[in-house]
Amino acid sequence: MKISIQHLTKIFPSRNKGGKEVHAVEDMNIEIPSGKLVGLLGPSGCGKSTTLFMLSGLESPTSGKILFDDQDVTTLAAEKRGIGLVFQNYALYPHMTVEQNIRFPLDNMRIKKDEGNARALDAARLVQIEDLMARKPSELSGGQQQRVAIARALVKMPNVLLLDEPLSNLDARLRLQTREEIKRIQRETGITTVFVTHDQEEAMSICDIMVVMKLGVVQQIGEPQSIYDDPANLFVANFLGTPPINIFKGKIEGGKVYVGDEAISATEHEDQEVYVGIRPEGFIYDPDGVFTLDLDHVEVMGRDKSVVSTHQASTKPTVRCIIDSDVKLPEKADKLKFNIKPNKLFLFNGETEERIR
Amino acid sequence: MADKNAQDVSAEVETTETQQPASKQKTNAFVAFWKNLGGKVKGVFGGWSNKSPRHVEADLVLNQQQQLSTGEKVKRALKAQSGWLFVAPALLLMLLFTFYPIVSAFINAFKQDLDLTGNYSGWGFDNFVHVFKGDTGTGGATFVQCLINTLVFTLVSVPLSTLIALLISVALNSIKAVQKAYQTILFLPYLTNSLAMGAVFATFFTLVNSGSGTNVGLINQFLGLFGIPPTDWMGIGAPVWELGDAVKIYWTKYLVVIIYEIWSGLPFKILILFSALQSVNKQYYDAARVDGAKRSTILWKITTPMIMPQISYLLVTGIMGGMKQYTAVVGLFGSKMGLQFEVGTMVGYVYQYIEGGSPKYGYAYAASLLLFAIIMVITFINNKITGKRSH
Ligand SMILES: Nc1ncnc2c1ncn2[C@@H]1O[C@H](COP(=O)(O)OP(=O)(O)O)[C@@H](O)[C@H]1O
Ligand SMILES: [Mg+2]
Repeated sequence: MKISIQHLTKIFPSRNKGGKEVHAVEDMNIEIPSGKLVGLLGPSGCGKSTTLFMLSGLESPTSGKILFDDQDVTTLAAEKRGIGLVFQNYALYPHMTVEQNIRFPLDNMRIKKDEGNARALDAARLVQIEDLMARKPSELSGGQQQRVAIARALVKMPNVLLLDEPLSNLDARLRLQTREEIKRIQRETGITTVFVTHDQEEAMSICDIMVVMKLGVVQQIGEPQSIYDDPANLFVANFLGTPPINIFKGKIEGGKVYVGDEAISATEHEDQEVYVGIRPEGFIYDPDGVFTLDLDHVEVMGRDKSVVSTHQASTKPTVRCIIDSDVKLPEKADKLKFNIKPNKLFLFNGETEERIR
Repeated sequence: MADKNAQDVSAEVETTETQQPASKQKTNAFVAFWKNLGGKVKGVFGGWSNKSPRHVEADLVLNQQQQLSTGEKVKRALKAQSGWLFVAPALLLMLLFTFYPIVSAFINAFKQDLDLTGNYSGWGFDNFVHVFKGDTGTGGATFVQCLINTLVFTLVSVPLSTLIALLISVALNSIKAVQKAYQTILFLPYLTNSLAMGAVFATFFTLVNSGSGTNVGLINQFLGLFGIPPTDWMGIGAPVWELGDAVKIYWTKYLVVIIYEIWSGLPFKILILFSALQSVNKQYYDAARVDGAKRSTILWKITTPMIMPQISYLLVTGIMGGMKQYTAVVGLFGSKMGLQFEVGTMVGYVYQYIEGGSPKYGYAYAASLLLFAIIMVITFINNKITGKRSH
């Protein structure tokens, strides 16, 4: 099912008199093609859950429209939208067994007992919990609870699957494993899925389309790789990538980009103050390079090396460069010189922080 | 520190003893007492004995020096038992005010012809036999009659009032704006004296034919609006209890008692259930809505099981309280619990033997023991049922 979000806005009134109202989501426009896995990415409090709840029908928008396959569902009740929702802390009914939890949506649809049993078992098999059907949620691990929640969302064969930070309560290893699993289930079922997360790595690794949000406003929409390679503004550039991008204060003067006294790149843009962003993998070690960093230390990480250094124009305490472990660095040095890969260098307006392309 | 103290304190003990050689034995006993207590206190409070009188300090130190290994053992044993020290006061009061009366009632129930001075003619089951054989005491109802009355009142009113309280609480919980005001209004009856409340309630249902005319209560007036003729709900205008009329007399009086009990039970139940509802995570309701559950499904399949512990608490305590019902019926029907005790409760049955001209204490004890046993059985069954249902 195709989802179309048009000028969607949600304003929460202030709790106390004279307080500020919260613009949780502002003028959101997204077209989600059928069968895709879409990631809503942004820091905590940027309106991801609110967006998801509006899609589910649990929250009603202040203004704007939501269309499922050209049908306007903006005012349609949650139970009539045919969506499956997995809550951040799963919200499994504690007094019901796993089987009863999974069957609950089917019972509400008045599906016959035999068919219901079969479908519940199918859903349980899909997430590999068919052996746990008789247990209560309190007798399950976090990962198992999460699977039950997914099974419960999938069992009614929803048109749209909505997942609110489904992996945030899992430990690191399980998180990796489960996100593959979600990707697999999504591909097998072909259900249009919206996946909320604040973890950029998670979003990058499983989404077909990524939506980056900040303070209720969509910053950029696109494929994960293209957003990474071509960020729309400083926030997006900063939010994506581990280790994060290095940001320097710099300026454009006479067709050259200056960081400190060094001209590190040529440009066609006019003279102005800029932020210069360089991805950690954008540095090439070269004794005759154009960009000098004050070396702090080198971390060896097997496949590659992480050069940690400082620069007075950097907006962060340290500058990180990832270089191939084969590259020989001088044994003892205070300063290292680098050349910059042009496609790993981004310029941002010094005031608006928008990308200068 | 310990060594230094030990030295000058043992010196002090010595001087005390030389000054008062006669009281040597006494001092030793005194020290032994403190030693004991000090050991316990030290077990409980750890280093507290630093602040205790020097005798204690000295003795403890001596104790430690002389037999460190066994001393340590004793201390550990005391520490393990020190919990008793904390419950002792409560335990003592409970023994005095709960167990003593129960035991004494148990014994007295078997004394024949017991009077106020404590004289009795012998032991036996006479009292029980009389109660069982249908002794009607000064009132007019048998024990079985009172048992049936009480069971009907309780088993109808408690579940009903819990159910109504649940529905009201759920409604309250979904109307955010009026919650505070309603909470106060609904709680007012809880603060009101039940005798006074019963008396007021009784006037609602009255129909009295007196010389000066007919006094028609609120309920009859209301029913009159729909052309329903006034009913003698309270049975006060009815002739003396006759078997033929009994059924008719019963159901109206029962109705009054049951309505009263439902109504007066609501505030506390709403208070408990409402706060239970507020602690249920809102997300379960959201999940249920997404899962397509109707309002009624959410109420019975989600909400009710979630607050089952509170519901079963209310049922258990409600039934236990209901079995001991007394004041409400007296408030409604006077101390005779009707004309001839026809709506008498079990406590009322017990009570009739200890008031009036010729009290029969033995019967009262026997009847109250029976009541005690019945409540115990009901509570046991109750726990079996509700214990299974609450998670
Ligand atoms: N029910 C609500 N009432 C008032 N403010 C809310 C409510 N729900 C969310 N908010 C506010 O809206 C903003 C977005 O919240 P949310 O969508 O939960 O963020 P996210 O899921 O991205 O962490 C936050 O500032 C939050 O405080
Ligand atoms: Mg959230």
